[in-house]
Amino acid sequence: MRARAADRIDGTRGSLRKAAALPRPRPRATLAAAAAALLVLAVACGETARRDEAVRDDVRAAMAAFPTSLSLIGKTDTNSEIIARLVTDSLVQYDATLAPRPRLAESWDLAADGREVTFHLRKGVLWHDGTEVTASDVVFTVRKVREPATEARSAIGQFESVESIEAPDPATVRVRFKEPCADPLDPFTLPIVPEHVAGKDPDILTGRFAEHPVGCGPFRFVRAVPGREIVLEANPAYWDGAPSLRRITFTVLPDERTAYGALLRGDLDLLGVTPDVFRDAATNPQAARLRRFHYFMMSTWYVGWNGDGSNPFFTDPSVRRAIVLALDRPAFIGAVLGGLARPAVGTYHPDSAWANRSLEPWAYDPAEAARLLDAAGWRMRPGGTRARDGVPFSFTLTVPAGSQEITDRIAAWFQESVRKIGVEVSIEKLEWRTFLDRRRAGKFDAVMARLNLSPSPDQFELYHSSSRGRGMNFMGLADAETDRLLEEGRRTVDPAARRKIYDRLQVRLHELEPLSCLFGFAAPVLVDRRLEGVEPSPLGLWTVLPGPRAWRWRR
Amino acid sequence: MVRAIARRLATGAVTLLLVTAIVFALAAMSTGSSLPGESVEDTSPLTPEQRAEIRALYHFDEPLHVRYGMWLQDLLRGDLGRSFHDRRPVAAKIAERLPATLALNAAALLLMILVSVPLGALAASSPGSLLDRAAGSATYALYSIPVFWAALLLQLAFAIRLGWLPLYGTQTSGMEAAPLVARLHDRLAHFVLPTVCLAYPGFAYLSRFVRGILVDNAAAESARAARARGLAPSAVVIRHGFRQAAVPLLTLAGFLLPRLVGGSVIVETIFAIPGLGHLFVGAMFQRDIPVVMGLTLLSGAATLGGVVAADLLYAVADPRVRRA
Amino acid sequence: MRSPTPGCAVPRRGHLPRGLVAGGALIGILAFFGIAAPFVATDRPLLARGPDGWSSPAARSAFGLPDAPAGRSATAVVMAPIPRAPETIQLDSVLAPPGPGHWLGTDGLGRDVGSRLVHGARVSLAVGFLSAALALLVGLPLGALAGWSRGPIDAAVSRGVEAMLCFPSLLLALALLASSPPWLSALPDSVRLALVLGITGWTPAARYVRAEFLKLGGSALVDSARASGAGSLRIAVRHVLPHAAAPVLVTASFSVGSAILLEASLSFLGLGVRPPTPTWGGLLTEAAAHLERGWWLALLPGAALFLSVLGCNLAGEGLRDRLDPRSRP
Repeated sequence: MRARAADRIDGTRGSLRKAAALPRPRPRATLAAAAAALLVLAVACGETARRDEAVRDDVRAAMAAFPTSLSLIGKTDTNSEIIARLVTDSLVQYDATLAPRPRLAESWDLAADGREVTFHLRKGVLWHDGTEVTASDVVFTVRKVREPATEARSAIGQFESVESIEAPDPATVRVRFKEPCADPLDPFTLPIVPEHVAGKDPDILTGRFAEHPVGCGPFRFVRAVPGREIVLEANPAYWDGAPSLRRITFTVLPDERTAYGALLRGDLDLLGVTPDVFRDAATNPQAARLRRFHYFMMSTWYVGWNGDGSNPFFTDPSVRRAIVLALDRPAFIGAVLGGLARPAVGTYHPDSAWANRSLEPWAYDPAEAARLLDAAGWRMRPGGTRARDGVPFSFTLTVPAGSQEITDRIAAWFQESVRKIGVEVSIEKLEWRTFLDRRRAGKFDAVMARLNLSPSPDQFELYHSSSRGRGMNFMGLADAETDRLLEEGRRTVDPAARRKIYDRLQVRLHELEPLSCLFGFAAPVLVDRRLEGVEPSPLGLWTVLPGPRAWRWRR
Repeated sequence: MVRAIARRLATGAVTLLLVTAIVFALAAMSTGSSLPGESVEDTSPLTPEQRAEIRALYHFDEPLHVRYGMWLQDLLRGDLGRSFHDRRPVAAKIAERLPATLALNAAALLLMILVSVPLGALAASSPGSLLDRAAGSATYALYSIPVFWAALLLQLAFAIRLGWLPLYGTQTSGMEAAPLVARLHDRLAHFVLPTVCLAYPGFAYLSRFVRGILVDNAAAESARAARARGLAPSAVVIRHGFRQAAVPLLTLAGFLLPRLVGGSVIVETIFAIPGLGHLFVGAMFQRDIPVVMGLTLLSGAATLGGVVAADLLYAVADPRVRRA
Repeated sequence: MRSPTPGCAVPRRGHLPRGLVAGGALIGILAFFGIAAPFVATDRPLLARGPDGWSSPAARSAFGLPDAPAGRSATAVVMAPIPRAPETIQLDSVLAPPGPGHWLGTDGLGRDVGSRLVHGARVSLAVGFLSAALALLVGLPLGALAGWSRGPIDAAVSRGVEAMLCFPSLLLALALLASSPPWLSALPDSVRLALVLGITGWTPAARYVRAEFLKLGGSALVDSARASGAGSLRIAVRHVLPHAAAPVLVTASFSVGSAILLEASLSFLGLGVRPPTPTWGGLLTEAAAHLERGWWLALLPGAALFLSVLGCNLAGEGLRDRLDPRSRP
């Protein structure tokens, strides 16, 4: 590889030099000047990015895109959530076992009817400007999130079930739900913002607060250059102890290979990478200073079957299962994904306490797949394809197009695998917006994409028949038992009884297979060996407890 | 002459208005049922009422002509509106990205001309020779290398393995306080690789273009006459060729400028330079209509300005056209 | 071929310029691979012998016929030079370097690169040539009409060209491809892409031709042709159009290569040719993911692209030498 790169570059220069050596006075002068200027620039501008080896107290990380908003609660995306969780705190937050832990709320009481929760706030917690955090800040934040103009996309739906929220005294927040709520804590992982600062802006997305957010978290916002970088520094007065790191710099690097190069050069200290890059780092001498590890993300790669009857294939659960049985997932993971994935069983993360561990992913069994299809009436024809009543088993798999080349690889493998059991698939790639539009409208046979999972067991939006046509239940699932279990799960407060309900729900979903979860992907990480405390967690490195607060450089 | 220029500018403005209307319609019609900035799979999605409220915030459900009218009204007040993506003013978003794009494209254009024009002249001075063919093949080979590949290889060689040049960005973070010379040096170093990547695919086209015109003109009557007067062949190429070449070159320049802005998306992404190309493509994918419109207006005005300027220069350079 | 005086390296009439021959041959070879792909690279035997006698499973599948009932039991006699289908996935030979099993190596899914390259020629060349042809087909008449007639028609065409220049062509392509109206999505992938790229790419040809017509419209050349009784169309085609040949042909021959590369970016955005149909651009995009481990993935599609660009330009320059009146002695 190295030799080839050098060849090409020398080739270019060579032709320039050859041209310049010919006896044509004026062009030669210009060419020589141009070549010389380039060379001088190239050599003279060599900058030394090598850092001295003294003990460091800052971390330099990369972001694929600048956060949509720095308002901490509005227009949230993955990157703005990272900033929000570092700059401010929430009432509760998940740790690496996905258990909610007390943060700004020291403790809480659940009412016996399951419709009310009372949070008792920690006293003496200060905003970065020195004012104390009070219950009215919490009430203000929730009110702000529920305003459509804040566009708190991922949070607004969670507060739909909240009937009222009030602050009877500065250290107490009382929340009343419209109906019994299974997971009253999940919405309160919401980052809290200070009313006395954020409340001054009529529009939280465009005001001064969004340019210079103030929080009460372990790191303070220092500065941001849109499109380029964000700088945070330690909050020495953090209530749970000052972080060891003095400074975190996020550089916006949209190209993953450039980011990897920056890591190799020593411009970055840690980076989430692709499996291909991860493999390269194992042998690349420039990557020797890096530790490699991976964690399993809170997401799953799914195929959603349109079971609303608009196609003749996927109303039958045994047909859906047959397709999955035709996929040799372990072989694909080993050969293509470098082992950095595992077959998934459902939309409950395997590391979550709610996962039903008695369930296994469907194993590769093409003979059983063929038997199921035969039994469903899809019989093999001479050409090697199946048909029922003259209708060939030929469907379209719709996938979102994007920068993720892995989608192509999975789609091609899916197509080839099911062709072997006599099913024809054509692949349709749609630009993301169009993909969402079509999925929402139910205009597809099957869709494949990645789905973010929630630590909460309540997956009402995904599977309940009332969510059809409006939310995530794009599969058109309408199953009486699933509906009943989802409703009971929401009403039941007793942990043991709830556990039984969700265990049963997962068994039912596994039988129905409305949404086939193919893989859980691992997120590979490369981190400087001397940076300690960076640990894998399903929530990633930044937003989990304790997160960067526990990172320190080895002395 | 002045009246001709005024008329030209007026028709340009009408064309621009037409273009903005069509772009607006195209962008608005492809919005579908989505919301601004809708980009993640949400496990707790919005209710239909919440969706409707957010769509109302951005006037998504107003008729097309009403929305275009609102945009025009704001424009007349000098307001380009606010981005759907992050609700920041479009003018501010463009302004913070314009300098990097301008600098990068100017540098690339300069490099393209510095390499291609002499190379084309050289090839034209002996058409069909080994030199001519070698120059042709070399530039075609460069042209066939996709930009993302060239960028990766150049980064690997000069920034990662050798460490001579910076890998990304337009300046080293924290250089604002450094002395002017060091800052300038830092900036220049950052521009070397992106400039090369943006310029090299153009070498082939431009140098072949220059060669083609020079060869034609060398064969023309006036050049033959010059040769008959005993001028050296190379002098004929240069003196007569370039004078004649000015017209088509100007036409070409009118095209190159706007294309450069669009063509820099990949380079901007790989080298992490927040420029207009990146903004434009991102805005199109997010159906961020105000940003798309702002940039269309800007690039349209620049293009039309370039075309008008080229036409005028054309008239000056070629008396036959001036008469017409 | 090399002439003593520069600028006079011009063949006599009747002799084809060497560049035209070489370029044409190069493109011919590439096109041959593209057209013959189902016979050059396929896992079906070219010739097989079964109980019913001789048959050619490769030919059957090339013409879209199902396998003959006995086809599966026939013994292969002659296999294709690359005996692999472009879609066949072999998870046990992922990223295999070029070798006896796979002449040009395998990709990230164990698919044969040689087979994909040969099949990729079909779509890539079709998109490249069709879009360039379309651009000329629209651009030449419009430019000629504008330059010839002047007046209001010229003004209309010129404003049209300017408007096209102002359009973000990517937006136009995206809007056309993403909204996929039924008439457009009914077309085969290569025609659909060529159409969209052609629609956005006709302006340079129109502009150059118009300029040439404006320049020569009232010149002695046209007057003398008219005096000798030639009709308008004949003057336009025989006497004026060849003067615009130089820039137009250079532009057109480049637009073939740029269309092939553009197809790559559109595939990257998911609006190109549907997978798993291989294209050169798609192969190059895939190759970037395997930069460290699969050098052969990029080298060969890159070389194919280079050869087609070189072929087009050689042919284009040769054609210009033949057409352009100024380069005639």
